[in-house]
Amino acid sequence: MTNTAQRTAVAIAAVIFTFAAVSAEAKDKVKVGFIGPLTGGVSVNGLGGRNSADLAVRLRNANPNAKYEYELVVLDDECKPNVAVQVATKMAADKDIIAGATHYCSATAIATVDVYHKFGFPVIVWGAVLPDITYRNKYAEVHRVNGTMINQNDANAELISRLGYKSVAVIHDTTDYGKGHLEYFSKALDKIGKTKIVGTFGVTADQQDFTSELTKIKALNPDVIYFGGLTPIGVRIRSQMDKLGIKAVFDGTSGIVSDAYIQGLGPLAEGTLAFREGAPAEKLPGGKFFMDKYNAQKYDNPPEAYGAFAYAAMDMILDTIEQVGPDRKKVIAALGDVKNRDSIVGKITFDDHGQNTVPVVTKYVVQDGKFVEWFESEYESGKRKLPGQK
Amino acid sequence: MDAGLFAQYVMNGLMLGMMYALVAVGFTLFFGVLDIIKFSHGDVLMVGAFTALATYIGLHALGIDSNWLNLVVMLVLATLAMALLGMAIARYLVMPLRSAPALNTLLITLMLGTVLRESVRLFYPQGANPKPFPALLPRSAIDIGEFNLRLDNVLMLCAGVLVIVGLQFLLNRTKLGLAIRAVAQDEETARIMGINFTAIVLITFAMGSGLAAFAGVMNGLYYNEINFGIGLYLGVIGFSAAIIGGLGSIYGAILGGFLFAGLQTAGTVMLPFASAYKDVFAFAVVIAIMAWRPTGLIREKISERV
Amino acid sequence: MAKNAPASLWPGVIALAIATAYLIALLAAEQQALIIALLVTGIASVIAAAWLGLLVSVTGSFADHEHALDGCAIIAALAMAAFFHENHFVLLLVITILLYSVATLGLNVQFGYAGVLNFAGASFFGIGAYTSAVLTAQTALPHLLVLLIGGFLAALTGSLLLLPVLRTRGHYAAVVTIAFALLFKTFLEVNDVLGGPQGLQVKGMNILGWSFNDNIEIGSISLSFYMNYFVVSLLLFVGVFVLVRRLERSWVGLNLDALRLDETAANCFGLDIVHWKITAFLIGNFIIGIAGALFGMVGGFVAPNNYTFADSLILVSILLLGGIGNPWGLVVATIIVVVVPEKLQTIQEYRFLLYALMVIAVLLFRPEGLLPRPVRRYFPGWRP
Repeated sequence: MTNTAQRTAVAIAAVIFTFAAVSAEAKDKVKVGFIGPLTGGVSVNGLGGRNSADLAVRLRNANPNAKYEYELVVLDDECKPNVAVQVATKMAADKDIIAGATHYCSATAIATVDVYHKFGFPVIVWGAVLPDITYRNKYAEVHRVNGTMINQNDANAELISRLGYKSVAVIHDTTDYGKGHLEYFSKALDKIGKTKIVGTFGVTADQQDFTSELTKIKALNPDVIYFGGLTPIGVRIRSQMDKLGIKAVFDGTSGIVSDAYIQGLGPLAEGTLAFREGAPAEKLPGGKFFMDKYNAQKYDNPPEAYGAFAYAAMDMILDTIEQVGPDRKKVIAALGDVKNRDSIVGKITFDDHGQNTVPVVTKYVVQDGKFVEWFESEYESGKRKLPGQK
Repeated sequence: MDAGLFAQYVMNGLMLGMMYALVAVGFTLFFGVLDIIKFSHGDVLMVGAFTALATYIGLHALGIDSNWLNLVVMLVLATLAMALLGMAIARYLVMPLRSAPALNTLLITLMLGTVLRESVRLFYPQGANPKPFPALLPRSAIDIGEFNLRLDNVLMLCAGVLVIVGLQFLLNRTKLGLAIRAVAQDEETARIMGINFTAIVLITFAMGSGLAAFAGVMNGLYYNEINFGIGLYLGVIGFSAAIIGGLGSIYGAILGGFLFAGLQTAGTVMLPFASAYKDVFAFAVVIAIMAWRPTGLIREKISERV
Repeated sequence: MAKNAPASLWPGVIALAIATAYLIALLAAEQQALIIALLVTGIASVIAAAWLGLLVSVTGSFADHEHALDGCAIIAALAMAAFFHENHFVLLLVITILLYSVATLGLNVQFGYAGVLNFAGASFFGIGAYTSAVLTAQTALPHLLVLLIGGFLAALTGSLLLLPVLRTRGHYAAVVTIAFALLFKTFLEVNDVLGGPQGLQVKGMNILGWSFNDNIEIGSISLSFYMNYFVVSLLLFVGVFVLVRRLERSWVGLNLDALRLDETAANCFGLDIVHWKITAFLIGNFIIGIAGALFGMVGGFVAPNNYTFADSLILVSILLLGGIGNPWGLVVATIIVVVVPEKLQTIQEYRFLLYALMVIAVLLFRPEGLLPRPVRRYFPGWRP
C-alpha cells in the first residue's frame, strides 16, 4: 500500500509540475502555426515551406524591435484531407496559436477551410492553388498569398495551342486538386478552340501501375498528355509512358514543379512542361534577399517552388500580430485590409475573398535537368524541339 | 480490339502477374513451413529494391559503368542482404512467437513492415521522394502495330520464369527441398526424422526474402522508379494472390498472382467507363472466389481434426 | 489463494485514481521533454507495480467489485472532462478514445468471443460515418436515428460478406475481410457521388434543437462544444460496455466461447455454429457502425483515407494489445494507441516508427496483451 501511496504522490507531483511548467511561460511569447505535408510523397515541398516559415520567424525573433517572441508550431497534414482536418482542428482549437500559414496540397486546404471558420482561426494559404479554397465560401479567416490554378491553366492551354498540338489526353488525380485542373484546363482549351481533349483518366494518388490507362491513351495517340496531379504519380506516369513507347509531350501543372520531379526521372524529365503562378524565386522582388537568408540557415532542403510564398505568408502574419497584438479577431480584421503590401513575392492585395491576385504565370520546360523558363529555353528559340513541335 | 493493343494488354498483365507471383510465392513459402503470415514481406521487397539502388549508386561512384556487371552485383548484394534480414526476422520476431496466436505473428510482422518503411523514409537520403531506378537492361524495342515489345520486359519475364522454375526444382528435387516439405507437412515428425527445424525455418525465410529482393529489383527495373510505399500495396496483393491460389502451394501462388493481374487488366479493358473501378472489381472477385473455394483454388490438403 | 473473502475495493479505486491523474497529466503536458518523461515514468511504474505484486490486488478488486469500479470509471471520465472543459482538442481526443473503444468492443464480440476475424473494422466504422454524412446532409431524420441507421447499414453491408466468412477459416477468412477493406476504400475513392478522395462534410449533431456545435455558456463558465459530444459518446460507451459485458456473461457468451475454442466439439453438443457466427458478426458490425456514425458527426468530415486497411489494423492491434476478450484491456489499449502518437506529435516524423517499435515490444514481451482475459466467471465474485 505504501508503494501505491508513493505513486499517488508522484502522479500528483507530475500534475503540479505540469501546471508549474505551463504557467512559467514568458508573457510575451506568441505562438504561430504552420501546416504542410512533412511526410509522404510531396514532403520536399512541405519541408521547404516549413523551413521558409521558420526563417521568417527566426528573422523576426532576431529583430530587436519585435514586440513579441514568436514560437512556430509545426504540424504535418501528410497531404491527406483526413489528417489535415485532424491537425487543423488541433491547431485551431489551441487558443494560444494566433494564426497560421497552412497547406501545400489543395485537397487538404479545401477540406480544412470549414474548420478554420468554425474556430475563427486566421490562416494564410501558402501553396494550394484550387480556386475554391478562397472562392467557394466567403470566410474572413481564409486568405491566400499564392495565385489560383485558373491562370496557370490559361497559360498552359495557350502554349500548347500555339505549339500546334491538336489532341490532348488528360490524366488527373481524383482529389479536388486534380479535378479542378481538369475543369479549368478544359475550359481554357475550349476558349481557344484549337485543341481537343481525346480522353480523360482519373487516377488515385497511391496508384503504382498506370500501364492500363497509358495503353488506352496510346491507342488514342494524342500529341500531348496533360497531367493534373502531384510529383509522385507524375514521376511514375512519365516513366511508364516511356515503357510503352509513348512519344507525346508530358504537360504538367504546378504540382510537379519541384526538384524531386527531376531527381525522380533523370534524363526522362527532359521536355516536360509545367506552369506555376508567380515569378521564379530568383526573379522575385525579394528573391535574392530570401535566397541568401535561406542559404545562411543551412536547412537540409531547398525552399522548393512555394517556399517564398510560405515566407511571405508567415511574414505577413508576424507583421499583423506586431501591429494589432496577439488576438485572432483583430488579426482577421487587419488581414482583411491588406492592400498593396510589399512582400518578397511582390505587392500583395487581398480581394474580398482573401485572395491575392498574382498576375504573373511562369511557364517552365525541363531542359538539361532544370526547370527553365520557357521563353529563355532552347525549345522556344527552336534549337531543340518537343515531340511534334511545329 | 486491335490485335496489337490486345498484345500490349497481355504483356502489361504478364509483367504485373510475374511480380505478384514472385511476392505470393514468398508468402506461400513462409506459410508452408510455419503456418504464419509474414506481412512485412512487401516491405522487405522495398528494402531490397533500395539496397540494390544504393549498390548501384556506390558502384557508379566507383566508376563501374558496365550495366551487366552492375546488375549482377546489385542482385547478389540485395538478395544476400534481404536473406540475412529474413533470417533475422525469423529468428528474433517470428520464432519467439511460435506459441502465441497466429494473429500476433501477423501483427508483429506488420509492425515490422511499418518500421522498415518508416526507416527507409527517414534514414535513406531524401527517402520520402520517389527515386529513379536505373534502366540497366537493353531497351531496344520492336513496334508491331500498337504493340511495343521491349527487350528488357522480355528478359525480365524470362528471368522471373527461371527463378520460379529454379525454386520449384529446389523444393522438389533436392534434399533441402525435401526437408522443407517435410517441415511444412508435419513439424514434429520432421524433427523426429532428424531434420534441424530451426535451420530449415531460417533457410526458408532467407529464400523467401531473397526472392522478395529479386522481385524488388525487377519492380525497379520495370517501373524505373521506386519509393518507400511500394511494399505495402505489393504485399497486400501478393498475400491475396497467395490466398486465392491456396496457401502452401507454389502453383497456387503463381496462379493467384497471374489471376490477380489478369483481373486488374481485364477490369480496365472491360469497364471502359470506369477503369478506376478495376481494383474494386479485382477484390470483389477475390471475395467471390473465397466464397466458392474457401481454401483457395488449389485446395490445401488438410483433414478436419475431430 | 483460496481465500473466500472478497478482495478489498480500495486497490482498484486507488489504481483508477492514479491512472486518471496520470492521464490528465499526460493530456495536459505540452513540452516534449515532459511528455517523454511522463511516458517513461508510466511504463516504469507499471512494470514496477507488476514486479512488486501490486497488480494482483488491483485485479482482485476489479474482479470482485466490478460494478462499483465501473461507476468509479465513469466518475473518472467525467472528472477528466470537467478538468479539460475548455480545451477543445483534449476533449476531442477523449471522445476519440471513447468511440474507438466502442468500435473495438464490437470487434471484441466478433473475434474475442466468437473467434470470427474481421480485418475490415475501419470499413464498417466508415460505413457508419458516411451514413451520417449523407443522411444529415440530405434528410431531416433525427440524428439519434441516424446513428442507429449507421449501425444498421454497417451490419447490412457486413451480411454481404457472411457467405465467404462462414465458409472460410483462419488466414482464408482474414483475406475476405482484407479484400473487403481494400475494396471499400478504393470504392469510396473512385466514387464521385460520395465525394471521392476529397471526402464529405458532416453536419454537427442536433437533438431537439440543441445544436452540438455551439460552445456552451453557463453563467461565467464556458464549455467547449465538444462537451456535448463527450456526453453522448460516454453514454454510448457505457451502454455498449454494459451490453458486451452482459453478453459475455450470458449463455450467449458461453455459446460463443465454446464455438471459438472448439468448433467441432461445439457442433457435437448441438450448437448451431452458423447461427452464432452470424449473430456475433452482425452485432459486432452494428456496434462498430454506430460508433462510426457518431465519430463522423464529431469530426465533421469523412474521407476514404480515414477508413483504410491500415486503420482496420490499428483497431485489431488495439484488440491484441489490450488482451483479446477483455473489455477493460481494450480501453487501456485504446488510450495508449490514440494518445501516445498524438502526444508525440512534435517528434513528428518519427512517431510512426516509435509506435510500431512499441507494439513489437509488447508483442514480444507480453504476447497475451496488456490485460489478458481472466478465466470465465459465471457471476461476480465466483471463483474457480
